[in-house]
Amino acid sequence: MTYSYYPGCSLHSSAKEFDISTRMVMQELGIELEELEDWSCCGGSIAAGVSHEVGMALAARNVVLAQQKNRDLLASCSGCYNKSAKAAKALENETERNKITPILSQMGMSVSDSNTKVRNVVDVLANDVDISSRIKKPLRGLKVACYYGCLLTRPQELTGWDSPVFPMSMDKLSEICGAEVVDFRSKTKCCGGPILVPQEKVAFELTKRLLDEAKSLGADCMVLACPLCANNLELRQPDIEKAYNVSYKLPILYITEIIGLALGIKPGKLGINKHVVSPKPVLAKLGF
Amino acid sequence: MVAKKKCFFGIKTDRQVDGDKISQKFMDKVIAEGGENAAIASCMQCGTCSGGCTNIDRMDISPRKLILLLQRGEWETILKSNTLWLCTSCYTCTSRCPRGVRPADVIEAVKALAIREGIQNDSTRFNQIFVELVKKRGIVFEPELMHQYGGIEAMLEQAELGVKLALRGKLSPFPAKVKDSKIFNQALEKASEK
Repeated sequence: MTYSYYPGCSLHSSAKEFDISTRMVMQELGIELEELEDWSCCGGSIAAGVSHEVGMALAARNVVLAQQKNRDLLASCSGCYNKSAKAAKALENETERNKITPILSQMGMSVSDSNTKVRNVVDVLANDVDISSRIKKPLRGLKVACYYGCLLTRPQELTGWDSPVFPMSMDKLSEICGAEVVDFRSKTKCCGGPILVPQEKVAFELTKRLLDEAKSLGADCMVLACPLCANNLELRQPDIEKAYNVSYKLPILYITEIIGLALGIKPGKLGINKHVVSPKPVLAKLGF
Repeated sequence: MVAKKKCFFGIKTDRQVDGDKISQKFMDKVIAEGGENAAIASCMQCGTCSGGCTNIDRMDISPRKLILLLQRGEWETILKSNTLWLCTSCYTCTSRCPRGVRPADVIEAVKALAIREGIQNDSTRFNQIFVELVKKRGIVFEPELMHQYGGIEAMLEQAELGVKLALRGKLSPFPAKVKDSKIFNQALEKASEK
C-alpha cells in the first residue's frame, strides 16, 4: 500500500521526531509513503474561523493533490487529519464543493471525482497492520499514559475508527508493544493547543491538568500523536513548571517512537534524541 | 439538514424550547458562513455540549446558552462573548450532541462573522495574522508569526526555546513555501474579499 503522506507544517519543524519515526515504522511494516508534492498548510483549527471558504480551500487543496496521484492521503498531525478529512467530505457535497472549486481552479487545480480517503497514522497502525508478531524488543516495565487529545478521533463521522469519547487504539498499540498502560481519565480532554498563543494562561491551565494526572498515575511518559499537543505538553512544559512552581520532567513521546523501539529500531534512527524534555529516563528503563 | 440523529419524539425545528418562534435571521447568517454543518435549529437545550466542554469554567456564556441566544437572535450578546475565543474546536460538544447540532462548527462560523463585524482582541488578531501568513506562502514561518503577533518582546521570550529547537534541527532559518505562491495567494485573497 502506498499513501500520499501529508506531514503538515509541524512535522517539518518542531515535530521532526514524529516525521522520522513515522517514516521508519511505516518502512519497517512495508507501507510506502510518498510525500505529497507541493502540499500547503491545512489552515489548522484557525483558518475556517476567519473565513470558512479560505479554511476549506486550504485543506481541500491537499486532498485534491492526493486525488491527482490517485492515492489515499495519510496525515499524521491530528489537526491536519481532521481538516483534510473535513475537506474530503465537503468535496463530496455539492453545495460545499461549489464553494471550494472556484478557489482551487484559480490555483490551476481541477477537482476530479476520484474518491480520496483521508487516513491517520494511528488508524493505519491500529487497524491495517498486525504488529504483534513483529515485536523484537518488548517495552517491559514501561508505564505509559496514552493521550488522544481532541481531533484524532473527533468528530466521529470524519474518523469512525475509534471512540470519540473513550478511544483505545493507542492503549492497545502500547500494550502490544509490551508497555503497561495507565488508566488516564483525561485522555481526550483538550490541551488548549489552538488557543496557546492568544490565551496562553488558559492553555497552560488545561495542559497542566493533563501533566498532573499523568504524573499522579506514575507514568514514565505520555504517548501521543499530535504535534500541537506536544507543543503544549513538551515544548512549553518548562514554562508551565515555572509558572506553577512544579516539576514534571515528563517525557512526551510519539506513538510511532514507542512502536519503533518495540520493533527493534535504534532510538537514534527514530529521532528520539530530538526531544526537548529528555527521554533518557524512558530509554534507561528500557535498557538503551 | 445535517441532523441525522433521530430521537423518538421527533425534532421540532421551528420553535425554541420555551415555545417561542425561532428567529431565523442570524441562524441563516451563520449557515451562510459555515454551511449546513452550522445548522442549529434542532437544539433542545439539554446542555450535553456544556457538560463536556473542556473550557466551560472560563466562559461567560456556555455553549448551550450560545445556541439559545442564536435562536433568539441576540446577536450583540454573542459577539461580545468570550466563549468564541475560548472554544478550542475540540469537538467534544459536537460528538456528544444527541440532536446532531454541531456547536463547534457553529462557533467556528460565528468567529468568522465576528471578525468581519469588527470584533477585536488578542485571539482575533492572532487568528488573522496566522491566516494572512498562510495565504502568503502556503506554509507558516513561525518566527515571522511570533514577530508579527508579539513583536521583538515575544521573540525574546521564546528565544531559549528557539535555540533548543534550532540545535536539534527543528527550526529552519528560512521560510518554506508552495511552488506557485503568487497564484496561491491571489486565489485566497480573492476568496477572502467576500
